[in-house]
Amino acid sequence: MSGWAALASLVLVGCVTGRFERVTVNAPVPSAALAGLTPGTDTLGTCLAALGAPVTVVECSVGPGLKSGVAIAYSWIERSGWGFTVNVPRVNNAYFSFDSLGTDVPGCVLWFDERLVLQRWREGLVGSLLPARRRPAPVLGAN
Amino acid sequence: MMKRCTVLLSLLSLLPSCWLARGQVNEPINALALQQLVPGASTAGDVTKALGGPVEVVQLGRRSAYLYSASTEKTANLFAFVLTLSNTDTRQDRVWVFFDESDVLTHVGATLESHHAQYAMPWEDVHEPADNASRDEGRPGVGK
Repeated sequence: MSGWAALASLVLVGCVTGRFERVTVNAPVPSAALAGLTPGTDTLGTCLAALGAPVTVVECSVGPGLKSGVAIAYSWIERSGWGFTVNVPRVNNAYFSFDSLGTDVPGCVLWFDERLVLQRWREGLVGSLLPARRRPAPVLGAN
Repeated sequence: MMKRCTVLLSLLSLLPSCWLARGQVNEPINALALQQLVPGASTAGDVTKALGGPVEVVQLGRRSAYLYSASTEKTANLFAFVLTLSNTDTRQDRVWVFFDESDVLTHVGATLESHHAQYAMPWEDVHEPADNASRDEGRPGVGK
């Protein structure tokens, strides 16, 4: 009983505040549009026409000769969740915060070969799908 | 009198309040300028003349790609006593232009949605097709 009274007093003086938050960033790529893509047939041009502009474009190595291919990634955020913050007024900047909102960003990645023909695509968390950024490959034969 | 003030202040503290916030990163992309770009004919110079300086340049072997982007973020908050209800909606304009090794435009990918961002409460449905279509009508070069 005294625990409830303590919690009620913290809430009443504003030390504990709750929130329900929804965050949306960009429109998701429809799964049907992805399912309509055919590896080996579709090209960068047809994929851009079907899905719009990606969020990220990176160079990737493809094939046995590790030729210069392209990977494009689409990502979006659609999440909601509860959270609360506990402030301690007597201590400078002392607070505790919790959010049930996740940080993983869903999306899809499409890989193209050196002729810009679609090789494959995957849906999932973009951070784990996308190749890590690296220094651009040297351009052979460039002056 | 004192008792009346106390009651009034207590009631006011229980009343909900709301506030709106809007954020904009870069100017929305000019959709009409975008329509002037012709893959196979336009060059990197034509693109920068039409759209300005890109946000990002990516080297893709001998090829390259430029990113143009802008975003609008709209946040609506409802504060009721100790509970805050918040909704943040962010929509982007993104244009990727791809060039061959001679800096001739080969592909254009465009998503123009920054005008779709909406103020809403967390439980509201937003971005219905009809709603987006009506917003597209008001943007030159995007609506039909």
